[in-house]
Amino acid sequence: MSGRWWKLAARNLGRHRRRTVLTGSIVVIGFIATTMTAGFVSQTFTGLRDVTVKGLGGEIRLVDPRAAGKTDDEAAAFLLESWEAVARGAAKDPAVVQAMPRLSFFGLVVKGDRSAGYLGTGTDPAMEQRASSLVEAVGEGKFLADPEADEVMLGTGLSKAIGAKAGDLVTVMTTTPDGALNAVDAPVAAILRYPIKELDDRLLYMPYRPASRLLKAEGKASSVVLLLKPGADAAEVAGRIAESLKRDGRPVVARTWLETATFYRQVKLLYVSIFFFMGLILATVVILATANTMTMSVFERTREIGTLLAIGMERGAVRALFLREGMLMALGGSVLGAILSLLLRAALNASGIELPPPPGGTHGAPLHVDFIPLAYLAGFVMMTSTLLLASWWPARRAARLDPVEAIAHV
Amino acid sequence: MTEPLLSAERLTRVYRLGEEAVVGVQEATFSVEAGEFAVLAGPSGSGKTTLLNLLGLLDTPDSGRLLFEGRDASSLDETSRARLRREKLGFVFQAHQLIPVLSAEENVAFALWLRELPEQQCRSRARQALRDVGLEGLESRRPGALSGGQRQRVAVARALVGEPALILADEPTASLDSATSERLLDLFVELHRSRRVAFLFSSHDPRIIGRARRRIDLIDGRIVSDVTVSPAGTIPTAAPPSGSGREGTPS
Repeated sequence: MSGRWWKLAARNLGRHRRRTVLTGSIVVIGFIATTMTAGFVSQTFTGLRDVTVKGLGGEIRLVDPRAAGKTDDEAAAFLLESWEAVARGAAKDPAVVQAMPRLSFFGLVVKGDRSAGYLGTGTDPAMEQRASSLVEAVGEGKFLADPEADEVMLGTGLSKAIGAKAGDLVTVMTTTPDGALNAVDAPVAAILRYPIKELDDRLLYMPYRPASRLLKAEGKASSVVLLLKPGADAAEVAGRIAESLKRDGRPVVARTWLETATFYRQVKLLYVSIFFFMGLILATVVILATANTMTMSVFERTREIGTLLAIGMERGAVRALFLREGMLMALGGSVLGAILSLLLRAALNASGIELPPPPGGTHGAPLHVDFIPLAYLAGFVMMTSTLLLASWWPARRAARLDPVEAIAHV
Repeated sequence: MTEPLLSAERLTRVYRLGEEAVVGVQEATFSVEAGEFAVLAGPSGSGKTTLLNLLGLLDTPDSGRLLFEGRDASSLDETSRARLRREKLGFVFQAHQLIPVLSAEENVAFALWLRELPEQQCRSRARQALRDVGLEGLESRRPGALSGGQRQRVAVARALVGEPALILADEPTASLDSATSERLLDLFVELHRSRRVAFLFSSHDPRIIGRARRRIDLIDGRIVSDVTVSPAGTIPTAAPPSGSGREGTPS
């Protein structure tokens, strides 16, 4: 029954084609902007997530319960007693790809008569290569290879501070948990170009075993970092593993990458705020343009509205007629916007445009706009609700016209 | 004795123009029987259209009562008035007032769409109404592709299609040339004869007044005469005294 009213609404939109096309274009552009921005932001989040997870070496970090909530300096005293047992327990979970030890320490690195403070990390070279982006940061020399070898990788800033280059011999000094001083001579395997300067000035990596010997903490680790299979829910796996290890008598605190990635959360919040603000501006533009079109339409059709009321059309039906016109414009604009958005996305993804690295990243990536079905749905809902809102007042005005005055309108 | 189709009892409508009160209609009392062919006559500004709007439930009187088929219609709510208009009344306006984006057939069917009748029924009745007004073959044309007279015939078909008890026509020939007006009047007379539908015109066009079976004269919002003319259609030269009711057939 209502098909005839939709048909009439569609024909009414065709009365002033140019005006309808102009208003419809705003809807189309709004829809494209919404879906493309969502796709681009999604890609940025994915890139940022990868950078963050690779920076941490995995999605989940297991630490001793005593170290939880402490600063790195404070936590350094609380090591996991048997990291291998913890790793074995965690690796039983089907979502875990690998469990890697990390040993944090600090002290002085010396070359000749020059020394500088460092923040050291003992790690498994093979697992580190697999899980993190550190290998991409090697600027000079080669990544750590032998898990037993006394060798180090230094940040560029740190290497400059002591005048070391790849192949040079340096002395790594530290204090053991018991308070004793210990040192080891180690050749520089590689110089790293780390993207964050503050870390680049202090960064030192060495294999886990020599690091644990240096600290006199064999078998112990500051943390065990878990790399998960793609698509695994980190929070769910973390809860499962913490529970399982607790049952095994090895309580740990399992923290996901998201809990520790303050930078990621801040960047995401910033992007979401920008996206929301942009959406607000878009909605305002669409509302103003549509309200203007509808108001003009009501004004031009005043006599006709008077006639409709006179021959017995109820006020609610008059209002519904104008709202249908708004709905149709939203629907048409959204469908066309979706088609154009998909075409534009395909063209951009095929263009090979290179983007700068995401915040904290070292390498750029080709432009890729993700397909987010939810964004298309959101775009449709946003356009429809916006146009309904914009049409409401003109439609209400039309429905409240006095038929006698409306028929006499010139 | 049957109820009149429409009874106006001391209908008064006063407009406010700033501080000034302008009387549109004053204490109009008369009735319209089923099947009548009457005209509200008078000079411009005499209150013809205002009275027609009151009778058509498009406007509300400041005082007085309007009875439609014996029921008080002046106190009906907005929805009931709209229902009464679409089910019992037909309207023909000075300008055709058709919807430009609909074809002639759809414009006529529109009156039935408002009653939510099935599409097939709306269409077939609309085509029949167009045949009745002599527009067979022009069903698919939009108003823009019709002449002034044809458009007004479509408007008449729209008024007729719902089989109303009364058609109210406000200056229906005002925007037409005299030949077209004559043909339209012939159509009104023919429809009145064949369908026995009541017509009430408001007009100062002598051609309409000359064909009406009853003439109600207004001056300054007051009914000054109400005359039923002879079946031959002649109008008496002497107007009867003004009154609140029908004066009867003049001598």
